[in-house]
Amino acid sequence: MELLAQGIVSGILVGGLYALMSIGISLSWGALKIINLAHFSFILLSAYIVYQLTVSFEVDPLLMVLVVAPLFFMLGVLVQMFFHLAKVDEFKSLIVTFGLFIIFQSVMQTIWSADFRRIGPVLNPYETQSFFVAGIAFQLPQLVAFVVALLIAGGMWLTFTRTYFGKAVRAVAQDPEMARAFGIDSRRVAVILSGLSTAFSALAGVFIAIGQTMFPQLAVAWFGIVFPIVILGGLGNSLGTLTAGVIIGVAAGVSSVLWGPLSAPLVTFTILIVALLFRPEGLITKRSIA
Amino acid sequence: MSARVRALVGFAAVALILGFAPNMQESLEFPRFYLIFLFTMFFWIAQASSWNILTGYSGYFSFGQGAFYGVGVYTVGVLVVKQGWSFMTALPVAGLLAGLTGLFLGLVVFRVRRLTGEIFALTTLAIAFVLASVARLSPSIDGGTGIFMTGTPLPGFLGEFTTAAYRLTLAITLITVVVAYLIHDSRLGWGLFAIRDDEPVAEGLGVPTFRYKMVALGANALLAGLMGGVWALQLGFVTVDDVFNIRVPLFVILMSVLGGMQHWMGPVIGAVIITTLTDRLNSAGLTDVNQIIIGGMLVVLALAVREGVYVRMRRRWVTTAVSFFGVLGLARLLDLNDSLISDFAYAMVATVVMMLVPDRVWARFGELFGRSHPAEEPIGAEDLTRTGP
Repeated sequence: MELLAQGIVSGILVGGLYALMSIGISLSWGALKIINLAHFSFILLSAYIVYQLTVSFEVDPLLMVLVVAPLFFMLGVLVQMFFHLAKVDEFKSLIVTFGLFIIFQSVMQTIWSADFRRIGPVLNPYETQSFFVAGIAFQLPQLVAFVVALLIAGGMWLTFTRTYFGKAVRAVAQDPEMARAFGIDSRRVAVILSGLSTAFSALAGVFIAIGQTMFPQLAVAWFGIVFPIVILGGLGNSLGTLTAGVIIGVAAGVSSVLWGPLSAPLVTFTILIVALLFRPEGLITKRSIA
Repeated sequence: MSARVRALVGFAAVALILGFAPNMQESLEFPRFYLIFLFTMFFWIAQASSWNILTGYSGYFSFGQGAFYGVGVYTVGVLVVKQGWSFMTALPVAGLLAGLTGLFLGLVVFRVRRLTGEIFALTTLAIAFVLASVARLSPSIDGGTGIFMTGTPLPGFLGEFTTAAYRLTLAITLITVVVAYLIHDSRLGWGLFAIRDDEPVAEGLGVPTFRYKMVALGANALLAGLMGGVWALQLGFVTVDDVFNIRVPLFVILMSVLGGMQHWMGPVIGAVIITTLTDRLNSAGLTDVNQIIIGGMLVVLALAVREGVYVRMRRRWVTTAVSFFGVLGLARLLDLNDSLISDFAYAMVATVVMMLVPDRVWARFGELFGRSHPAEEPIGAEDLTRTGP
């Protein structure tokens, strides 16, 4: 029973990390109509960069947030400018970003090889830290990731509902032409949003670097977790994505306790299938961003 | 009708020539390596063509090719090695199971009308990972240990092992291409094209969209599974990571995007070009760069030639013939390389580069040579099938 409770708690916490990995893809899909498969490589690339900087300069891996977030914001801006220039639409974005994904993957494979990489315990004090409440362990990296995901999801929700920029994003998501007619610079909105979503993926990468062993194929393995979350949460809906992340995390955690860790993809996929059958517009809310 | 008969006679002739190529090997004295090269090429032609039946014709973008292929590989592996079935009885089961996987997927995703093609795409992306985890979990399939596939007995009338495997691959490839060809010019094909252009309109005009999509997906999965089953013969050692990875979907997408997804010939041309190029890159020791080139090609081609090179080759057939045979002849004459495949690779690259020139620039060239109406050239397949707004 305690094991099950532990599974649920870990699931909730790891769900935060899953949500953090999914928010960027969800925003880009929901608001910009670009399904950016390259986000998976952004997450892993950020993780590798954090790993490399930490190992080379022996600095605190969490501080690397200050380096990667702006870096990837710029990358997201550049990518979106390229998409504008090449007039990439929703369907083409699948092929184009799949190509980008393959390029990033092989570049990472060339630089860091196919070996397993991990920041050593000396440089990475966070990995093993955890504290106990009623006999249930809360691992520090997961807890921090969860809090960050909560802040970002809540922050994006407030931005979308309360600010002028958020209104502009929603207008662009609904109808870019019409938004332009009302004086919204839809290109600028898109570029900023793309930068933000890429920066969120980079944040997820920091926590991957702190908490996990990295290898190039990891990015491929994330497909099965992230896409169910993006679809369940509703496109562009940040709070929905967080909830979906927690649901998937708990389901994966509980199934790992009950049937072993390999069963997790099966359970998450079953949830996706069931959700698609009954609530195809997203599990949490009827409304996506637009 | 006569065009169709002629085409089918053509397919039969190709089948006979390629089918008896192993017998002629000694009299023609070409290296055995060529047969293995053709074998790989057939595999990719079949995979790309079967993928195109769903994605090219109906416009529903699928990443599920790896899953269907994997079901085929594992069905043959499990039935032949672990259950002791003969290969020829296991192969149809492989196709059937892959087809059922496809139909199940379709039943879930196509049922909900509001679901967009994008969600279909991502669901197909996820299914390979699920099947991989099922295979890993279940000891009766793989259990994480892999399956040794060496020395599977094949029926004797097909020749010794390599020749028999070659002929089986050829047979499945021809079936796939013929099916793709027949669907292309049928009521089903036109219905699928209408779905691709505008599904609500197609539905309004009386196209049974759900049924047609299911048939296309089922055919895609079944043919991919059959080819996977035959391919299992030469894998030697079957592991989850090698089978259910991103390679098969990546390559079929690239080949079809390169060749063109509107016409049945597109994926065939794309597969021929890509297998030749990757074979040359690999033998030049550029395996690492290979993937980067492939990814870069995918981006460039998706943005530069929407309709694929095949449609442009037909429109610019003189240029195609001149650049292909010119470069091929030149390479032969100069004796750049002792390998015939390299010469073909040069010719293909030259042709593809010529096809990459945008239509607008191309029209300028036409004017230079005194042709004022380059638009009067034969209309591409894309324009013929466009019905939507």
